[in-house]
Amino acid sequence: MQDSFDVIVVGSGAGGAPIAHRLAQEGKSVLVIEKGPLLRPHYQVPGERSDFRRDEIYASSAEKILRVPGLANTGVSYYSSHVEPDINDEPHVYKGAKGQDYGTMEGYTAQVVGGGTQLYGSVSLRFTPTDLMLKTFNDDRRSPINNDPNGDVRGEARDWPIDYATLEPYYVMAEEMIGINGTRDNQQKPFSAVKYQKPLKPNPISAFAHDGMVELGKRLGTNIEPYRAPLAVITEDHLSSGRKIPRDASGNPDPESAKTSYVNRYGDPLGLKSSTWVALLSPVMEKPNFSIWPNCVVTHLVSDGAKVTGVRLLDPGGAERFINARIVVVACSAIESVRLLKLSAAADENFDRRINRNPLLGRYFLTHCFGGARALMPKPFDKSKALDADWATDCCATDDFLEANGLWAGAAIYNNTSDQALPLSLFRTYGSQDLDTLWNGFMSATEMRGDKFIDFLDNEFGRGLSISFMANQVPQFDNRIELHPRVKDKWGRPVAYVIKDWHAHDRYLMDVMAQQCGNVLRYGGDPVNHDYPIQGQGSIYMAENALARMANHILGGARFGNDPNDSVLDPQCRAWDFDNLYVTDGAFMPTSGGANPTLTIQANSFRVADHLLSRI
Amino acid sequence: MTVTVFEPGSEYVLNHCTKYLARAGAPPPPNDEAAAEAFRAKIAEAWRFPIIGLMRVADAHPELNLVTFVYKTVAGDTGSIQVLGTFGELYRPIPLQPVMFEGEDTGYRAVSVGIPKAQVHTYKYVLDGHYFVDPVNSQRVTLGNGRVWSRFFTDGYLQPLVLEPWEVRILYRLIEQILPFRGKEAENFLKRYYFGLNREQRKADMPKAFRLDDSVGEVNAIDKLLAREEAHRLTDYRLCLRQIDRVLRRQNPFLDPADTPAEEFVELYEKMAKSHGSGDNPIPGWDYGEYGNPAFFLYILRRHAVTCAFSHPKYAGNVGAAGWAFLSERYSDPATGTLFDWRPAIEAPLGTSPYYR
Ligand SMILES: Cc1cc2nc3c(=O)[nH]c(=O)nc-3n(C[C@H](O)[C@H](O)[C@H](O)COP(=O)(O)OP(=O)(O)OC[C@H]3O[C@@H](n4cnc5c(N)ncnc54)[C@H](O)[C@@H]3O)c2cc1C
Repeated sequence: MQDSFDVIVVGSGAGGAPIAHRLAQEGKSVLVIEKGPLLRPHYQVPGERSDFRRDEIYASSAEKILRVPGLANTGVSYYSSHVEPDINDEPHVYKGAKGQDYGTMEGYTAQVVGGGTQLYGSVSLRFTPTDLMLKTFNDDRRSPINNDPNGDVRGEARDWPIDYATLEPYYVMAEEMIGINGTRDNQQKPFSAVKYQKPLKPNPISAFAHDGMVELGKRLGTNIEPYRAPLAVITEDHLSSGRKIPRDASGNPDPESAKTSYVNRYGDPLGLKSSTWVALLSPVMEKPNFSIWPNCVVTHLVSDGAKVTGVRLLDPGGAERFINARIVVVACSAIESVRLLKLSAAADENFDRRINRNPLLGRYFLTHCFGGARALMPKPFDKSKALDADWATDCCATDDFLEANGLWAGAAIYNNTSDQALPLSLFRTYGSQDLDTLWNGFMSATEMRGDKFIDFLDNEFGRGLSISFMANQVPQFDNRIELHPRVKDKWGRPVAYVIKDWHAHDRYLMDVMAQQCGNVLRYGGDPVNHDYPIQGQGSIYMAENALARMANHILGGARFGNDPNDSVLDPQCRAWDFDNLYVTDGAFMPTSGGANPTLTIQANSFRVADHLLSRI
Repeated sequence: MTVTVFEPGSEYVLNHCTKYLARAGAPPPPNDEAAAEAFRAKIAEAWRFPIIGLMRVADAHPELNLVTFVYKTVAGDTGSIQVLGTFGELYRPIPLQPVMFEGEDTGYRAVSVGIPKAQVHTYKYVLDGHYFVDPVNSQRVTLGNGRVWSRFFTDGYLQPLVLEPWEVRILYRLIEQILPFRGKEAENFLKRYYFGLNREQRKADMPKAFRLDDSVGEVNAIDKLLAREEAHRLTDYRLCLRQIDRVLRRQNPFLDPADTPAEEFVELYEKMAKSHGSGDNPIPGWDYGEYGNPAFFLYILRRHAVTCAFSHPKYAGNVGAAGWAFLSERYSDPATGTLFDWRPAIEAPLGTSPYYR
């Protein structure tokens, strides 16, 4: 067993894989350590068999019971994907409204080579230039900020230590290397080059979303029109990863084969979804200087003075091993990275002193302000032939929109196409607000049976259309990740404790954005009177009648910045008091951005790779 | 019976067992049932063992499952563990091999064999001449001679494993009230659909699936859930079905409860929905000391009914994909055809995807 490498990357998802790929290409010896299994699309298994299945039980399992003792929801049912960490083994605990502790699915990504990018919906939007300079924008603004009586927003807003122009070439690189389809026209962000592959035809139900977005742009006075939501799904042969579109019987590429609605929460058996495994890691797999160890969990980073000398891990059999490296990159997803750093500090006094030079590790934990609206369209469509999203608009992300509405930051708005397309997903999300309440609505709607069940299907099957927004959450010092004082994982290590709340301005922002999403449906569903009936409109913060849709994003907790007293990481994502420790998953973000975060995590990781290449 | 051993490789085994079996603490010593019990209780999804997997296309045996037995010991253990089961020759145990990681012993021992789909088998591990049940898999059967064996079943097994015939019959009747397959239209559809299935499929599925005139075999799949993934719900079924039987017998002393007229099942369903246990809306004849919350049972049953009617047929419901076909026929557009075209996404022979295997 090789026990020394130039670089160890912990975690193979969006934040880890781009660095591993670039450094391996440049001949550095790289080891990727990943807690989850290495599951492959069919063409990579000799003899052919996909490890991912189009099977609704794979995405949300049979019932499991939360058995972690002493939690407010011990004994509840839950349903998880086959590659999610099991919450009985490795729970995340959060503090509920009444101060009680709950076990949660929230913030969980996937535990598999590729991380969250195996399961993700693959919506791959860029952040806007303003997203990266919210302090400057809010310092210079003309209108007051609504619902912020104490001026928290101005006090807590931060500019990123890099501006959009610095990140932009790496967006281009990510778009090319990951393999993303989309359109550039109508996006309100500068592009130096367009590397998108051609999008597939949208699902016909999305025409309502398109028309509603056009009308929304008109009403807002900017006439900003929608663009095809960029998706990390290849539609053409992908040069840099060597992936090919399946050929039909006459030898022609058949990109439509990607449209199945087994998309969000499913690994792709055909390898067309651009997970970091198929896009970045499997292409370097054969290099002698590249290794990946799946099914291994890193338990500690070990330090000596300003150097991290290596990592301790548990191999698949549970044996402890120590591996040396010149550089260690932590990319376990924000919550688990913070946890790993805190566990390392608890075991190593030198590490503790250096990582906790200020009280910020784990602080300013962020998710997204997130929500939307849903309505039943006038007639059904075959939603089972769809990717995750079709149209997006930036009309609620312009500086003028923010000024006009007293908002501190903007949002991307896009339509979901594959949601509730398959029968079980329609039933289990009926009346549920999030992953923690799956099935509850359907189970307790006992009146829905026989003819009423048919009525329900007649009404809903193929007719639901939902519009989502994704917006910045106000950073707050008190929103944080700690180690739980009592609950331990299956190895006996303290689990992550998530403590967070919404700011009053977050709530206001979500109401404004949910209203815009509702408007898209009102305008699009009823082109004449523009008041099509909406079934639900709401946001993640609301308990009832909310359309707090499923996937959430976990960011912050180890933010980067220019000031060592105000950040955990320097502008290159290096821990301030270490010479060779980097954190490159979503934890580095000082603000959460007005869009789904993964493309930005990947772009930043490519940027850090360039920096690392300049030093080793 | 000869059995073929396949070698999917250490990576395959580790990918399917580490998440569950790697954890703090030593594995139980062989044949120590108390230690095994404590070990198993901590494993989040112990039911995943043995691993019921799929053959590769190149193996050219789509009719088999790749069944992988995994036994956990400590790295370096030189004992030679074997598995003996009804799928192989009776007196010839098959040895498990060490599973390696980066050239080193992980402590896992495994063997993968090809076993026909739709079968049930019993097995034991053998070490130094001692026979013992699988410490991880909680599926057990007691044979006629009183001996306890471990059990597993492969995909699409259609005979009841844990439910009694009378329980199966009552369940079908109760679930009829929930699912959309009752009523002339749906019944005609199902008849036509089953008749239209090709001969091979009919031969395989039809005789085994119970009451396919107005169901899609969902109770078969519920039985499998209760035998494996949701064994923790079997008690609810046992207790509750006994109460349902009691209530119906009280209503119609001379009728087999499963033959109770449909209206009375509807009535019972409605009463159960309203009876939450805390003494509200008691159902005459229901012993609340035995099962306190009839509405809760309906909740479970509703989830099970739709899950089993509309999940992949490998789970033994949705026989011949009849549940999907029902949706696909009901929702269509005169101009463009069906609005639930499930076949192109699904593997052959069930579906028509030329790429997905
Ligand atoms: C269902 C779903 C849909 C989503 N849809 C979208 C979308 O449409 N667009 C979008 O932008 N984002 C989406 N996301 C979010 C996206 O997946 C994440 O933003 C992204 O994967 C985060 O990257 P990361 O590098 O921070 O973490 P991850 O990609 O999660 O990678 C972290 C990896 O580290 C591993 N790991 C953790 N701890 C250890 C340890 N101690 N030792 C070794 N390995 C470890 C984990 O197993 C994991 O594989 C979605 C997520 C989910 C779950």
